[in-house]
Amino acid sequence: MPAKELSCPCMDCKDAETVFTVRKRQLCSDCYKHFIAFKVHRRMEMYRPGKTQEVRPKVLLPLSLGVSSSVLLSIVEAQLQYQLAKPYGKIFFDLHVLVIDPSSINPSSASIDENYKVLLETFQLPTYTRLSIHDIFDYVPNMKEIICEYAGSQFADDSSLSNEDRLSAFRASLSTATSAADLDYVLLTRLVAAVAQKNGCQSVFWGDSDSRLAARALAGVSKGRGASMTWQVSDGMSPWGVRFEFLLRDLYKTELLQYASVSPELSDIVISDPPLSDNVLTKNLSIDELMIRYVQNQGAKYPGIMSNVARTANKLESSCLDGGASCALCGGPRGNVKGNTGVTATTQSGDSEGSRFCYGCMRSRPGLKC
Amino acid sequence: MAPTTCFNCKEARAVIIRPKNRHKLCRACFIEVFETEVHETIIGTNLFFPGERIAIGASGGKDSTVLAAVLKTLNERYNYGLDLCLLSIDEGIRGYRDDSLETVKRNAVQYDMPLTIVGYGELYGWTMDQVVEQIGKKGNCTYCGVFRRQALDRGAARLDIQHVVTGHNADDVAETVMMNLLRGDLPRLSRGTSIVTASGGSDIKRSKPLKYAYEKEIVLYAHHRQLDYFTTECIYSPEAFRGSARTLVKDLEKIRPSSILDIVKSGEDMAALVPRDPAAAEEENTGGCGSQNGRTSGGEMAAMEKQLTENETAEAHETEIQLPQKNTKNTIKNPKAVKSQTLGHCERCGYISSQRVCKACTLLEGLNRNRPKTAIEVGMEDEEGSSTLMRQMERTQLTNS
Amino acid sequence: MAHSTNDGAAATISITVEFTGGLEILFSNERKHNITLPARLDDASQPTIAYLLQHLVDNLMKDDRKELFIMEDNVRPGILVLINDADWELEGEENYELQQGDNIVFVSTLHGG
Repeated sequence: MPAKELSCPCMDCKDAETVFTVRKRQLCSDCYKHFIAFKVHRRMEMYRPGKTQEVRPKVLLPLSLGVSSSVLLSIVEAQLQYQLAKPYGKIFFDLHVLVIDPSSINPSSASIDENYKVLLETFQLPTYTRLSIHDIFDYVPNMKEIICEYAGSQFADDSSLSNEDRLSAFRASLSTATSAADLDYVLLTRLVAAVAQKNGCQSVFWGDSDSRLAARALAGVSKGRGASMTWQVSDGMSPWGVRFEFLLRDLYKTELLQYASVSPELSDIVISDPPLSDNVLTKNLSIDELMIRYVQNQGAKYPGIMSNVARTANKLESSCLDGGASCALCGGPRGNVKGNTGVTATTQSGDSEGSRFCYGCMRSRPGLKC
Repeated sequence: MAPTTCFNCKEARAVIIRPKNRHKLCRACFIEVFETEVHETIIGTNLFFPGERIAIGASGGKDSTVLAAVLKTLNERYNYGLDLCLLSIDEGIRGYRDDSLETVKRNAVQYDMPLTIVGYGELYGWTMDQVVEQIGKKGNCTYCGVFRRQALDRGAARLDIQHVVTGHNADDVAETVMMNLLRGDLPRLSRGTSIVTASGGSDIKRSKPLKYAYEKEIVLYAHHRQLDYFTTECIYSPEAFRGSARTLVKDLEKIRPSSILDIVKSGEDMAALVPRDPAAAEEENTGGCGSQNGRTSGGEMAAMEKQLTENETAEAHETEIQLPQKNTKNTIKNPKAVKSQTLGHCERCGYISSQRVCKACTLLEGLNRNRPKTAIEVGMEDEEGSSTLMRQMERTQLTNS
Repeated sequence: MAHSTNDGAAATISITVEFTGGLEILFSNERKHNITLPARLDDASQPTIAYLLQHLVDNLMKDDRKELFIMEDNVRPGILVLINDADWELEGEENYELQQGDNIVFVSTLHGG
């Protein structure tokens, strides 16, 4: 092949101009996408069919239409297409995609109708479900009772209202930004797990980037939810018998943004992130947002340390949690984790004992202004 | 605005809002509740036995002053039968330590407790003023921290006391949890929250009876009991206001005042989830000075980042070579994963150490050889000039787990 | 809008302000300060803690490191404010209207112990 005149050739194929530098490697856009996809494939290895495997597993991929989960879908779908294209090709697992309408969580979000249409046309291999957050009442039938018991006197449920209005009344009863963000995540996770169960999925592929996982770990720890990190940040079994896998845990948000920028098929699917509110006082932020900002700011200077956070949380052993009582709302462990007895922060706080809810959920319940 | 009445007695004017449950309490009820909670912690953890001799590590600052005052009160109120004394370290910093030692001397009179002062000068042959004269202001916190760690143990041993209590509070514990999460230190994550830390360096027991007490309440307790404490920043540590984990915890407290105890809760739970390594005994944290204990700084983070980047690069190369069919399990290599260490004794001073020569003696050797180690920059924001020694120091600190 | 009243314009209130917990180093190493403020501000409102903070930074603080005392136009996290010995959260925080003879204490919790 005649050598091209390249001012800065790609380190891998040596046949195209460098577009991005990733982890000290200068790559063209194809090799860049390859590099990123490889980091995801590596984590999908366990879904390679074994010899004895009889039933093809099914996987749920919750898609927010944000950059990260859209890139994940694009990589996973491409891998399945690749498997199909092989002679006698068979896919390793069936893929079901769940889109939860962002406008049902954040009313200021634009309609996703167009994006959804393009999505179905672009990625034809998976099956799809589109829901709103308040569909949780249909998927988790006792959720209404749980919420009423949880909210106590601060929230008067009105059964004549629609699911949508009942959920917004509950959310409105939460007194702080931290509690609201905390409960949104709890409800979203419950809905995703319930949809996975209903569709017979063994696993959920979450689209959280490394940066997002670091922020979640720091926020979870700050909200007294340290014990739930074993499935909120680590790969492992969730309380609902469905495995949670975080396939993007080796990738920074900036890398996913770059991937999307050279993936034209995503341009009409991805919705942009809601901008972080600027110029607000720290005390009005939610803990989740504080940590997203912290990871963003510190990550610019210390990306390695930030990825170390999620990596550290991923080393915790979820097996230690087996057998204990779990929270009716978030599914996390109640009381003390096995091995912790006597005087602990749980006994010191004094308000979560004897309740069906865990320490973290009790901290977010309506009316508690702290 | 009409004055709020106390949640407890429903009579007096409330003067404080408790961070952990937002209860509004009057002065008398607050002091009572604060003391009762420390008492419950002590009883619930079987921290002391009757007749036990206890040395209170006293710096003259708010935490150790409140600890001394509360322990004296509780010892008398509940007949613990403890023999309490004050143990202070004189780092030899003129203008800082002389003043705080005067405070400790007054405390000894106020609380009627014997006081022992152990000096760096007599223990190591170097005061901090002399260390700074030799190495400059940069990096001296490392020396001070390493020396102090042993000094409390050595002081206690001199008094034939087996149990030292320190003033570490819930904020300190929360900062340590966050910092260990940030630097990926699982072994410390598993130990940092426990109330008793058997000091790896000796058979002297260390404990922190105030581990559930919010710093805010400690300051208010000192204020409302008008305790005599000393509050000036160490003159060699002008950057002490900074510190990533500390700032983060203070921001969190602003958003949700209970979060400090919430972090302690998470820390305790995660500690129980850390995979057990039976041989994971080691020396305690050596970073920074007592007042900065558990606080991370820009220099430390920069050094760590550098190492992580090197790991990452190594990993990238490795995966490139082994590209096809690699087992997904453990593909993420962490060269700093838990390493167990065998503890021996320092061959110079006999202090328990995982190295042949303990850190204090290593530092002393450098000082005595009159070789300035200006490159040690722990505690400073400056990111330049990281030398081999600095990286070694950081590595020891990070991997020694 | 109320028309301006001239008779109160010259009136002042005196309060005491104390800095402890290490904050005194930012204020000429003096713990206790007597402060005189106008009883009414230009817009006829009473001076609040927020006004006092600005006044302290502009007039009393000799140290350049304003960020050690003020952050986001409020007291830096980790500094407690006591209004007549009560936590300022009980009194409306920075919106508390100062009264003649008030004692305001700023305590830093940020220093070692």
